Amino acid sequence: MSRRSAGLWTVLAVFRRHHGRVLTLGVGLTAATLAAGAMLLGLSGWFLTAAAAAGLVGAGLAFDVFGPAAAIRFLALVRTGARYGERLTNHDATLRVLASLRLSVFRALAARPLPALAALRRGVALNRLTADIDALDGLHLRLVLPVAAGALVLALAAGLLAWLVAPVMALVVGVLVVGGGLSILMAGRPGAGASRRRGLAQDALRVRLLDLARGRADLTVAGRLPAQTGACGKASDRALAAGRRLNVLDLRSEAVLSATVQVAVVVALVLGVWLAQAGTISGPVAAIGVFAAIALGEVLAPLRRGALEIGRILLAVRRIAPALAEPLAEPLAEPPPAAPADPGEPQAGPLLALSGIGFAYGGGRPVLAGVSLTLRPGDTVALVGRSGGGKTTLLWLAAGLLRPDAGTIHLCGRPLADWPEADLRARIGLLPQRSELFAGTIADNLRVGAPDAPDALLYEALAVVGLDGTVAAAGGLAARLGEGGAGLSGGEARRLALARLIVRRPPVLLLDEPTSGLDVDTATQVMARLRGLLPQAAILVATHRAGDLGNTAGVNRFRLSSPPAPTTDLRQISID
Amino acid sequence: MSQPASADPPPDPTTSPRAAAASALAEVVGQERPAQRRGAALQAVAALLWVPQAVLIAITLAALVEGTALPLGLAALAGFYLALAGLRIGLDAWGKRIVHLAADRVRARLRGRLVDALARWSPMDAGAPHSGAVAALAVDRVDHIEPYLTRYEPARLKVAVVPLALWCVVVPLSWAGALILLVAGPLIPVFMALIGMKARQASQRQLAEIASMTGYLLDRIRGLVDIRLLGGVGGATSALAGAADRVRRETMAVLRIAFLSTAVLELFAALGVAMVAVHVGFELLGLTDFGTWGAPLSLAQGLLVLMLAPDFFQPLRDFGAAYHDRADAEAVALEAASLLGRHHASILGSGAGDVPSEAAPAVRLAGVGFAYGAGRPVLEGVDLEIRPGSRVAITGHSGAGKSTVLGLIAGFLGPDAGHIEAAGRPLDAASADAWRARIAWIGQRPHFVAGSLRANLGLYGAAAEGAELARALTVANAAEVVDAAPRGLATAIGETGHGVSGGEARRLALARAALAPGRDVVLADEPTAELDPETAAVVADGLLDLADGRTLVVATHDEALAARMDIRLAVIGGRLVAAEAVP
Repeated sequence: MSRRSAGLWTVLAVFRRHHGRVLTLGVGLTAATLAAGAMLLGLSGWFLTAAAAAGLVGAGLAFDVFGPAAAIRFLALVRTGARYGERLTNHDATLRVLASLRLSVFRALAARPLPALAALRRGVALNRLTADIDALDGLHLRLVLPVAAGALVLALAAGLLAWLVAPVMALVVGVLVVGGGLSILMAGRPGAGASRRRGLAQDALRVRLLDLARGRADLTVAGRLPAQTGACGKASDRALAAGRRLNVLDLRSEAVLSATVQVAVVVALVLGVWLAQAGTISGPVAAIGVFAAIALGEVLAPLRRGALEIGRILLAVRRIAPALAEPLAEPLAEPPPAAPADPGEPQAGPLLALSGIGFAYGGGRPVLAGVSLTLRPGDTVALVGRSGGGKTTLLWLAAGLLRPDAGTIHLCGRPLADWPEADLRARIGLLPQRSELFAGTIADNLRVGAPDAPDALLYEALAVVGLDGTVAAAGGLAARLGEGGAGLSGGEARRLALARLIVRRPPVLLLDEPTSGLDVDTATQVMARLRGLLPQAAILVATHRAGDLGNTAGVNRFRLSSPPAPTTDLRQISID
Repeated sequence: MSQPASADPPPDPTTSPRAAAASALAEVVGQERPAQRRGAALQAVAALLWVPQAVLIAITLAALVEGTALPLGLAALAGFYLALAGLRIGLDAWGKRIVHLAADRVRARLRGRLVDALARWSPMDAGAPHSGAVAALAVDRVDHIEPYLTRYEPARLKVAVVPLALWCVVVPLSWAGALILLVAGPLIPVFMALIGMKARQASQRQLAEIASMTGYLLDRIRGLVDIRLLGGVGGATSALAGAADRVRRETMAVLRIAFLSTAVLELFAALGVAMVAVHVGFELLGLTDFGTWGAPLSLAQGLLVLMLAPDFFQPLRDFGAAYHDRADAEAVALEAASLLGRHHASILGSGAGDVPSEAAPAVRLAGVGFAYGAGRPVLEGVDLEIRPGSRVAITGHSGAGKSTVLGLIAGFLGPDAGHIEAAGRPLDAASADAWRARIAWIGQRPHFVAGSLRANLGLYGAAAEGAELARALTVANAAEVVDAAPRGLATAIGETGHGVSGGEARRLALARAALAPGRDVVLADEPTAELDPETAAVVADGLLDLADGRTLVVATHDEALAARMDIRLAVIGGRLVAAEAVP
């Protein structure tokens, strides 16, 4: 329990630090709403019984009717006003908390090692993350708020009942507290299990449906189509069964809460009768307890959903809290304006030097062995060879996304690992084989890595990749793209990703299949214009169409063999 | 009572969209309507049990104040009250359970229909719904029907029954109290109708905004690698913060209006209760003598009126809260109806395993014509004869119909005209499964189901192990693909696992086919498309090795591959001609 609650405190601390005031106000207003509602009914009950008692002894005219009547109307107004304020405040608070949670998670994710990030692209991890954040939405609205406001109101009610009626009448509140706690305890743990099972079953259903949709041809030929639809049905049944279990728990906790209120009413009634018969209190005062018990049921009702979700919320807390608590794993300072190696000036030493690199994924078969390569300003080096030959791996190693098992990599004479992330990214620009574009304008996409770049620079980059005409036709830099860059063809998306990199003008460019999806003419022109714009950049290109690099003078072509030869010194195996 | 699903007319595009949505929803709920009404009725009865409970409390308190004897012993009173409470809680839970189970069956059936429709949808039909959209509909959106059945419908029944019943109890006691309720009560649904629509639009806009916020976040998380590589984390973070704040401010501006409207409603309910209380108090004091039917109000009667007043308003408020559930459910029902009602090409047969047909695998197409839906015919008057053991290339421009010919041979489509014979039998629903049991399919994008590499290699039923496996991997040049996978054959691939490149996927598909020697007809759809020349050559070698002793039909625009076949045909203008005749 302590480990779990530690996570909870971390998340709550994030809430408090950012939005303490508005959250407290929300709890206060909720409590005021509930208290006004309870007092409204309690006061009304007392008023009626007291009025009747006064009427009985013929003291009707002497009875002060205006005070209680005004108080009743006043409470009705307070209740309405507080409800309005409560809804505004709590929605505002929830939106704020949501935003800061998402931001914190984004920051924490952004600090992860890059290979781990690459794995995040896959749908399931992403789905789980969204589901966890969504579950955390309930933390404030359905757990903290009802519990905190409920506790406040119940404490107030206990005090008032003890003072106005009799100390023993606080027992009514005791019954409510025990019942409320019981319902949370009863539903919490099994609820977490059931919602976890439902989540897993839904994930399984999603995967099986996608397999059915995308693999229909293979499944039909294999005679497995009915088996696959059956598997979908089974996953759906499992999800529904878990939902039925959740429903039982929900009904049970609702029943416990209703029964609690009923028991509290009976306790108030019996205590009232005893106390009145003993002459301790008057009949009208006895009525206060009964009506307060009825009204306080409203305090317990919101606990129901929270009780059912508490397990799910705590699970999400446990998974997300570490990301929020940990200090950032890698320095994330943005590229400083401080002098990146000026590509305009020829340098004495090599920009990038790889020496004796060996690499294998997860202890498997080596992908690269003894590879050496040197890039000087103005060099263009093409890595050729068939897919799976290690071209991409070599680029990832050179960009510092992977660490080599053997050998060294130096950038400007300094080991790659010694470079702060921001400086490294300012000097090495990698165009991965798959790059993501974003929803937003063309300019937004181009400025991802250069927020302050002027429009002229963006147009220049678009001209290099030959997209200037397309963009102008689509409405200029302000033209909008859909999610994931939807709206562009594959080749256009590829070129926009390259333009995005060119805007940053790194002295070392690592390009993984930059011209895939382009016809040979366009590809050759793009590469030639790129060289024209950045004459001093060192460019390392992985491609299976080396012809695209044209007849540009000084292009060296290297072939990576697979499986790797014992030693592949790219400085020596120049094909040209 | 509702009509059986089949009796409902299909949504007619000429009727109003509201009517279409309602009929789509009625069709989805179908035969569960009675169960759902039974459950709602139980909940309404449970709500009405509050009346005898309130009577007990009123009598007890009145006796206490008036100093008269309790009508029953205190223990008996408490016992009776708790028994009623138990019955009320039990009936309510029972009713809710019935409704939930009915909602479960509705969802299970709708999901089943969606899955079946998807399964029978021809893999060659490009009009098939996007896989992600179907998954979202069948997995997540189907759940939106539940609140409609479990909240909206019971609330609708309660709002029709409970306030009226409670009002009928109040009328004989105090017509003035009843009048207050009558004035305040119906105003609530009226306001709901006026403001509810606006509030609903507001909340929908808010939800859409928040959804787009989530989309924005997911978009950025998916592209985090790129953002990091471009040093753009700081910029993306502040953009995210700015967007979130904007959404919050805009949302709050809209919500403020919606909340103000609901606050007015709440005020009516609260003032209604307060006015009833004040009026009853005055009555009891003897300060007014109007509002009752002659005899003055007793304390017990006054207390009863007071306790019933909040419950008079509660169903009205519940109904208001559940109001938008119906629109959500209708949207899902409409989406499902449009998917289920869409015309599409279906596979022949059931797609189940069968005993492979025996005769030699000759294929004959005679006068075959085919069009997708009502579109332009893709093929017209196609004649084709494939002798067992021959190797045939079908070439043509993209979109010319190469893949359609292959799909017709595989029974993924039924011809519109002409007929097809496979292994000496007409290819139809009855024979398709047995014919497909001897086909190995190498698709353009072989799909691997979520599971281990070993399970995927054994998709055709052969165990992927031992010498058989080694031989198959050698034929397909796929040994290195398996070696490079992190956990070898045990590596999880597919949707949730390790990714494979296009070339690797095709080599694995070849290995899968090589493992099943009984599948003596190999159909390959663009097996070398989008591959670099070296990888394409490796895949082509594997394909020819695989086809040794089998019949091979390849749809391709790869000249190098087509040149290695015995017979070359081309689809031109919907007709199949010998490739030599191509100008």
